[in-house]
Amino acid sequence: MSAPFAISACKACGHLAYPPRILCPECGGTEWGRRLAETGVVEELTVRRPVFKRRQLPWGNWLDQAETHLAAVVTDLGPRIVCRVPEGTKVGDRVTLVARGSTAIAVPGKVVEATIADPADQSA
Amino acid sequence: MPAPRQPNAASGTTRPAPVIVGAGQARYERHPAVERRTETFIAEAVVDALADAGIHRDEVDGLGVASFSLAPDHAIDIAWKLGMTVRWIMEDTNGGASGINMLQHAIRAIEAGDAETIVLCAGDRMEKREFHLMTDRYNRVARDFLAPLPLNGPNALFAFLTQRYAARHDLTREDFGCIPIAQRAWAGLNPGAVYRAPMSLQEYLESVPIAPPLTRYDCVPIVSGGDAIVLTTPDRAARLGAPAVGVRALRQLHNHDQQEGDGLSSGFAEFRDDLWAAAGARPEDLDAAFIYDDYPVMVIVQLADLGLIPDGDVKRYLHRTILEDRWPVNTSGGQLSAGQAGASGGMHGLVEAVRQLRGRAGDRQVEGCELAIATGYGMVVYTHGACHGAAVLERVAA
Repeated sequence: MSAPFAISACKACGHLAYPPRILCPECGGTEWGRRLAETGVVEELTVRRPVFKRRQLPWGNWLDQAETHLAAVVTDLGPRIVCRVPEGTKVGDRVTLVARGSTAIAVPGKVVEATIADPADQSA
Repeated sequence: MPAPRQPNAASGTTRPAPVIVGAGQARYERHPAVERRTETFIAEAVVDALADAGIHRDEVDGLGVASFSLAPDHAIDIAWKLGMTVRWIMEDTNGGASGINMLQHAIRAIEAGDAETIVLCAGDRMEKREFHLMTDRYNRVARDFLAPLPLNGPNALFAFLTQRYAARHDLTREDFGCIPIAQRAWAGLNPGAVYRAPMSLQEYLESVPIAPPLTRYDCVPIVSGGDAIVLTTPDRAARLGAPAVGVRALRQLHNHDQQEGDGLSSGFAEFRDDLWAAAGARPEDLDAAFIYDDYPVMVIVQLADLGLIPDGDVKRYLHRTILEDRWPVNTSGGQLSAGQAGASGGMHGLVEAVRQLRGRAGDRQVEGCELAIATGYGMVVYTHGACHGAAVLERVAA
């Protein structure tokens, strides 16, 4: 399942932090909300070949590995994120950001796949 | 003749400054035999460094250890296995920055009298599978936000940084190649390097893509190995009758940008002026530099941010100073040619610096090597290294 991609926002000063922090790097605040980061612009791209054909993820299940197209994307909210993109994505492309679970496969269309935040963050 | 009781610029005190009196390594290996474990490599490095210093194991009363793969053991287990009884002990988890970090702590410990003779060591048994298991669990962010993409290890992140730097400074792959090609030439003079054959520009350009634009020779060969240095008081050093290495100044800055910067504006730039002022030296006074080289782009960033590229003309510096003139940067071949043995990478440059400054660098000895810089860089928290440190080192005559 995919979900809108959200970035932690400090409730005291509005500072945006991704991945999530505990204390706000800007003001030291401890309360966090979330702001949707719907789109961003591809800043750089690379492609990674699989190191092993199958790989065990930290939580146990095995993943068949294909080439992974990866991007540094500057979100419209500001923070720079690392995410997976479909083949054919170009530097400078504006992309839609979705959070996906780790077992997600590529979705058609110009959609950037960002890993889903950890469960603790989901409940924030 | 006693070592000069010079003012201690590293701490701003007038206490006699501790000195480094030995450096050693376990031979770097690509495919070690099964019985050669992390502790084996660390132990061999320690034994080699003590022999280099001419100091007996029983004189050691302080131990610092850095490793990614020592678990479930810790520094105390290394002390026990090496038969050391120590008054001071530390374990460092800062990877590529661990050597400089432990050095900073060790200097203070000896100055304060907490220990008299300290061994700092690092090592890892690290093969491809172990390396990728390590990088997927490098920290919580890697585990939760990077590994599931999937992104194995830092290559892709430094592919981004390389492109970003190239765009900003109008650099091509030929420019970045100056670093690994020059370091390979040095490696040919280092029997301990895993890549020793000279590398042509053509060979560099045509090497296997790893994470474009990065190719095989932009990435460190993963090896198993160990590194160690020995520090002691100037009084004890004087009795050893060999040149030692003093620490003129040491500065670190960690998490300077909260991982919110571009990864190219480093902590080195922030402490550069303070470092050189404390050292009472300028970048142009250096005889050699030992720059943490996980990727060519980071060597360039550090050289620039530490003020070693005086006119800011990166392209010219790479081609003329590094490639043509062979100005000594990473004379062991660096990690790019000698290999990266996990956390040992954080001490690799320090060991080579000590060898050069003590005149014990064999065929690759830099003539008249009196003043050098060694750096540490490491711990990618999300997009780039968060730990930055550098030490200005000088030869202290026997």
